[in-house]
Parts: sequence; C-alpha cells; structure tokens
Amino acid sequence: MRRIKTVAVPAKRNNTGCGECRSC
Amino acid sequence: MVHAFCAEGTYYLFDSASGALHICDALTAEVVKKKSGEPYDLHGVDESEIAEIEEEIETLKKEGALFAEEEKEIPLKSEEVKALCLHICHDCNLRCEYCFAGQGSYKGRSEYMPFKVAKAAVDFLIANSGKRRILEMDFFGGEPLMNLSVVKQTVDYAKAEGKKHGKKFLFTLTTNGVLLDEETAKYLNEEMENVVLSLDGRKEVHDAVRKTVNGKGSYDVIVENIKNFVKMRGDKHYYVRGTFTKKNLDFGNDVLFLADNGLTEISLEPVVTDEGSPLYIAEEDVPAIAEEYRRLAREYRRRKAAGEKLFNFFHFQIDLDGGPCLKKRVSACGAGNEYFSVTPNGDIFPCHQFADMPEYRMGSVFEGKLDGRIRAIFRDNNLYTREACKNCFAKFHCSGGCPANNIRKGGDINTPYKITCGMMKARMECALALYAEEKCEEK
Repeated sequence: MRRIKTVAVPAKRNNTGCGECRSC
Repeated sequence: MVHAFCAEGTYYLFDSASGALHICDALTAEVVKKKSGEPYDLHGVDESEIAEIEEEIETLKKEGALFAEEEKEIPLKSEEVKALCLHICHDCNLRCEYCFAGQGSYKGRSEYMPFKVAKAAVDFLIANSGKRRILEMDFFGGEPLMNLSVVKQTVDYAKAEGKKHGKKFLFTLTTNGVLLDEETAKYLNEEMENVVLSLDGRKEVHDAVRKTVNGKGSYDVIVENIKNFVKMRGDKHYYVRGTFTKKNLDFGNDVLFLADNGLTEISLEPVVTDEGSPLYIAEEDVPAIAEEYRRLAREYRRRKAAGEKLFNFFHFQIDLDGGPCLKKRVSACGAGNEYFSVTPNGDIFPCHQFADMPEYRMGSVFEGKLDGRIRAIFRDNNLYTREACKNCFAKFHCSGGCPANNIRKGGDINTPYKITCGMMKARMECALALYAEEKCEEK
C-alpha cells in the first residue's frame, strides 16, 4: 500500500541566474 | 531536510532541498519526524508497519524527492547592478505612526530629488548594469507623487537612454494615494510596470495609524482614489500593500475587507518597529498571527468551494514547479550588491531601509564608484552564511530574511529576525497546503 502521494517534484533547480526575474 | 506538518486534517511532507511536496497519512508523518530528528510519537506501532513506511521513504529518497541532497556550491554573485530605488522625495503628506522613514523625511529634513540627481542615477544604473538587459527603477519616498514632475522627467530620460544602450526599464511607484487624481492615475497606469498602493484595510484600522498632517484619519481621503485606480488598472500589476500591527492581529479581516472592496491583489505585512511602541509585535504574538494566517486560508478555501470571487494574498502564492533558480534563492533581493537606493542628494545606500544610517553610505551617483567594504558585507553574506537558517524548511523561500531587518533587529546580517521567522513558517504551511489542494483538483 502506498502511503505517500506525491503532489509536486520540481525539475532539478537550475542555477543560471539569468537576471530576467523581477527584483524585497 | 523534510518538514512534516498537518493542515486542516491532511498531513504533508515538504522536502526543502528539492522542493518536492507530498501528502501522507499521520503515521508516515511520525516516521518522517523521527528520521528528521524532530519530536515524534510511534508508541505502540508495529515494527513491520514502520519498516514498510521506511521502504517507501527510501524509494522516494532514491528518486530525489525526499531527504534530497542539498546543493552545496555557493553561487557566485555578479557585480552587475540591476535595480535602483530612487527616494524621489523625502517628505510626505501623511504622518503614519509606524513609518520606518520617519514620516517621510528619514529623520532628516524634508528634501526633494532634483532631476540632475535622478538623471545621474539613470546613467549610473546603465553604466553598471553589465550584460543585464532588463533594469528596474522604483520611485519611493516619502511620497513620490509630491515630486511627480521629476518622476516624469526621469521616466522619459530612462526610456530614451535605455533605447540607446539596448536596455529595457521597468518602473514601479509606491504611493499613499492622497495625490492619486484621475490625471495622475492615467499617467501611472501608462508608464508603471507595477504600482504599490498603501492601504491597511478596514477604515478604523487604517485611520488609527495612517493620519493626515492634521492628525485625522486618511482613509476617506484616499480610498476612492485607490479604488478608481485599480478599476483603471485592469490586468496590469498592482498591489495593495498594507501593514498590520499589534492593534489588529485579526488582520485576516482586513485582507477580506480589501478583497470585498474589489482590491484583490493584496500584501499585508507585519509592522517592524521599536519594542516600546504600542504597535510592536512581540514573539508572544506569533502563535495568534499563525492562527490568523490559517483562518484566512480557511476562508479562501470556503470562498473557492462556494464559487465566490477570490483574492490574491501574495503570501499564499507559491510556485514549486517553476520557482526561481538557486542563485536567486540564495542571494534574494541583492541589496547592497545588485540593488541600491539613492537619496535626494544622490547618496547611495544598500537599500531604502538604510537611508537613515550614515554608516551605510556607499558612495554617490556622481562619484560612480561604490564602497567595496560595505558591498562585500552584502555580497558575501547570503542564505548559506546564516547558521540559524541551516535546518529550516522555509529557507529557500525566505532566503534568510530581510538584511535590513536582520541588521536592525538581529544585530547582524546573518541573524534572522526571529519574529518574522515564525510568521514565515506558518504562512508557508498554508501556501503549501493550498498549492497541494489545487494540484490534486487539477489531477
């Protein structure tokens, strides 16, 4: 019996730091 | 680490290193707590049952979805400047009791930024932005609309210079709404990528702390201006940004009041003030605040189930699938290294919250260079240098807190302000539970 139901497993966190995201 | 918690009768497991989220039963949550070194209760549980759960945990561990290895590499940080906050006006037409900017003047004299300073700030940002294509400029105060002519000149100049240098400027303005007449609203709607509107919620709550120069409540002066602007705004970015204090720990009612008045993009934040103030939120208030976040989440669920109009309380937003990259999570706001504030005379500080601390002056927009010693403090200290955050499940979502709050309240940049930690954890549990419910509905 599976007791754990997975909701989300994000893709491996990238580390690009492209700087396109908004700036507190 | 894995954080096991219960929200509204459902048990969740959140793996902080991978960002994975799971739903489980009560017994599994206890087994995970044991493995995480937290207090647990497995009294009277059959060993074979525990072994079965541990096997399932082990499978997920191999898949990198539970007890995942944390990336140890400390991201290198560039010295490209991406954003400036212009203190366009050190003066204000309100006298809010909790204002960190000393009622607008930052504990100094009233001062308005001349265009030559703003122009030099634009030049400084472009010259120091390296390869960055998108640059941000925030108009802050005091009350920026008291110096609107310079805001307009600055926007025109930045757009023209941006075009020349292949840069795109995004503008944000924060206002208390007093001078937000129809003509000004049209201008802001046209030019600002985001507008932050200061309103604390219910009239009696707002008026108790946000007063006019004559000491009267300001709610009636501003509320229609703000409502009209939001109607005009359509689907462009805006936020009603209020503050709650010791006097309204039932702030969930203020969130709902704003939502019921058509102001659906809401950020309501705890006051950070001195311990002697009657508005001060103490550590003993945190459990009540945590319960208030849970009550607000409950009301959100009820409205959703009833098909009623929803609101966007930004602490309940969380993006596990497409959140920011590790570099961003570790360096967060970039204050003092990638982001700075500029006072009306052109002085540069690590961020707007340092403008009344002369020891943090880093230079001037006219000098073009920055104090390397102060910059190093901000560049070299990040989430990974904060010992207290090491075993916190929320660390990749709060990034070790606000550097200004850490310094003012914790005593140094690496000591998180404990009171905000407690609130962060509570609202993150709410956000994770709401996220899981939504994902399960989608499936």
